[in-house]
Amino acid sequence: MSETNGFEPKIVAYVCNWCTYLGADLAGTSRLEYPSNVRIIRLPCTGRIDANLVVKAFEIGADAVLVSGCHPGDCHYNAGNYHARRRWILFRELMETIGFDMRRLHFSWISAAEGKKFQQVITEITEKTIALGPYNPYGAEPRVEPLSPMPQAAAGACDPAAELELRTAAKRVLESGQANVVIGYGARGPVFITRPDDVDRLVWNANCHQNLATYLKRKEIRALGKAAIVMKGCDERALIILERESQIARPDLHVIGMACNGMGQPKCAACDTRETRFADEKISSAQPPADMPDRYVAVDQILAMEPADRMAFFTAEFDRCLKCYACRQVCPMCYCERCIADKNRPQAIDTSPHRQGNFAWHIARAMHLAGRCVGCDECTRACPAGIDLRLLNLTLARTAEQQFAYRAGMDPALDPLIGTFSLQDKEEFIR
Amino acid sequence: MSEQISRDNLRTLVAGWLAAGKKVVGPVQVKPGMALFAPLRSADALLLDRWVRPSNSIKEVVFPRHEALYGYRIGKNSVELFDAAVFEEQIVIGAHPCDAASLPILDKLFNWDFQDEIYNQRRAGVTVISVACTESDDECFCTSVGLSPSAERGSDAMLLPRADGGFDVRLLSDKARGLFAEAKLAAGSDGQAAYAGPASKFDPAQVGAFAKDHFEDPFWAEHALACVGCGACAYTCPVCHCFDIVDEGNGREGVRARNWDACQYGMFTLHASGHNPRNNQAARQRQRIYHKFYMYPEKFGEILCTGCGNCARNCPEGLGVLPVVTEVSHG
Ligand code: SF4
Ligand code: SF4
Ligand code: SF4
Ligand code: SF4
Repeated sequence: MSETNGFEPKIVAYVCNWCTYLGADLAGTSRLEYPSNVRIIRLPCTGRIDANLVVKAFEIGADAVLVSGCHPGDCHYNAGNYHARRRWILFRELMETIGFDMRRLHFSWISAAEGKKFQQVITEITEKTIALGPYNPYGAEPRVEPLSPMPQAAAGACDPAAELELRTAAKRVLESGQANVVIGYGARGPVFITRPDDVDRLVWNANCHQNLATYLKRKEIRALGKAAIVMKGCDERALIILERESQIARPDLHVIGMACNGMGQPKCAACDTRETRFADEKISSAQPPADMPDRYVAVDQILAMEPADRMAFFTAEFDRCLKCYACRQVCPMCYCERCIADKNRPQAIDTSPHRQGNFAWHIARAMHLAGRCVGCDECTRACPAGIDLRLLNLTLARTAEQQFAYRAGMDPALDPLIGTFSLQDKEEFIR
Repeated sequence: MSEQISRDNLRTLVAGWLAAGKKVVGPVQVKPGMALFAPLRSADALLLDRWVRPSNSIKEVVFPRHEALYGYRIGKNSVELFDAAVFEEQIVIGAHPCDAASLPILDKLFNWDFQDEIYNQRRAGVTVISVACTESDDECFCTSVGLSPSAERGSDAMLLPRADGGFDVRLLSDKARGLFAEAKLAAGSDGQAAYAGPASKFDPAQVGAFAKDHFEDPFWAEHALACVGCGACAYTCPVCHCFDIVDEGNGREGVRARNWDACQYGMFTLHASGHNPRNNQAARQRQRIYHKFYMYPEKFGEILCTGCGNCARNCPEGLGVLPVVTEVSHG
């Protein structure tokens, strides 16, 4: 046994029932000794091991976590481990951005015949964790100095003729009965026009921030009947995902696409969807800016910091979270009847807005939107605590683009990022 | 004649409180375009030089978003219960009159049929030093609800900004006089005429009267369509006070805690049976207006709104109390 200096690390191993658990069993029956620091938790399949279980382990004091299952090709359920592998790739990038100590997070494939490998992996993880010392990701001193300002685009000029054209189009669809309600922008915010005489309440200006697609999930709006909806090119990406996920019947929806020269939001600086691509009718035209910055500069800024500084930064951000869930409510992609954050049997995420509960929420929210978030930044705009949720969304969007050539809501022909997998998904981090 | 303090001397005074280990809460810049009331790390962080309306309220000093009410620890042969220790001396500086006025309004609720000891303990430790407003924005409406940019209700001291950058000081309680005992005050003429504030925007009594006999009215459904039920309005409101009780812990130790909750959430009224008496957003919006302008006045003799405008500023969809009640009172 190695020198522990009295420190006995707690290591949680989430293992699948069919391979790694049997591997651990074999290690035992073969009398292969391995450190007793590991607590094994058996689940049916790595595909069923939610990222929040890993977070939960750290919450209750784990110093390291191992997730382990069947080798590629060996999954008892055919492809659970491939699905898991894809999610781990995304999860690791997210944890990296937040500044978790990645030396504490381990993944392996261990088959039922590999009692020896199980012994080796556990021994190595234990030794490594002893060398690292105890871990408390929730103890960081919040770093309060704000980051340097993110690139911001000036709001572009709005075509005044476009507003008139929009009203005419709205009147036409209402009069013809093509739609019972036009969801659009009004002077203060979203408006829902049901009478042709009211179309003059519709506006088109540089304050049309909202992604109106979020209203398509609301039962109060669905009750109004067939809808026509005003969409910018960026908003439209949400429709593509919603249709792919069977949340809307696209043929029943009339989309009025508005060309947009920018709404002065950070996302507008690198926007390459100035016009809708699949609208039923398009109004006005717009060009992408000539010199577009990289979409992910904000992530680079974060990653330029040391992990401990990133953790301190996100601790300060998450400490402000009120757990109001405004971020979820405005999100067009958050349509679950009952959000995991509102479930208490079991309670995956503490309801309290304390540090651990907030970390758990932010990680869950980001992960549930991996490959689905269309980058509309509504969550960040709505957050009354000014938390930059965008940084987490962009981290995962970048991973999706770099590793899987996937951008949510861009190509309607592509299968969803999560829910599919490729045999080529990278696995250099898995032992 | 009145007493005055220069801005530098005020900062020195605050620095002295901090050096003495006191907790001081005031408006600080969190990021470009956003200020929040938060504990000060240094006197320099206090925003004093210009009018800012923080996105949150000061209610957190008496009613934190999360607080343990009591806890338990299970030993080998024992169960230990312990009370949460809550008394803490807290100084709030830079509150607006619409913030300060929230505390006496909340006092009524937390001391109605049940005297909330935990709230009262916290409250006893709080001193509020307000700064009179010299500006307002489109969402402000203190003057419509019986307050004004220099209203003293709920304040232990009122600082009135002077043209020379300093403040006229009105000390209104012994607590404040104690805190200012060390301050370098000077005698002098009054700084300037007080700012009158925004013009009155609606009549709260009219809103209450409308509410009284329009429970079932299409008005609510029409005006709630844009609401996504995010609760940002309630969480940033100085007087919204709903909470949820949760148990958090494991087989060895844990706490019973009180966390903020809000009427705008579908889960707020969801019964265990699955029945939900407020099963749509219109009913929830109506509840917020009713509670503030009809129910609270019926019970406590005053409305549950200080006109701060935070609900409208923070609403991602352009709602909040003001746009809805102006519709009501303008017919
Ligand atoms: S997570 Fe935020 S940026 Fe992404 S789709 Fe939802 S609201 Fe938009
Ligand atoms: S909107 Fe902001 S404060 Fe509210 S739950 Fe989301 S991150 Fe937290
Ligand atoms: S209801 Fe709105 S305006 Fe009135 S006190 Fe609350 S947040 Fe302020
Ligand atoms: S009124 Fe606005 S802030 Fe309040 S719950 Fe509705 S959308 Fe959110």
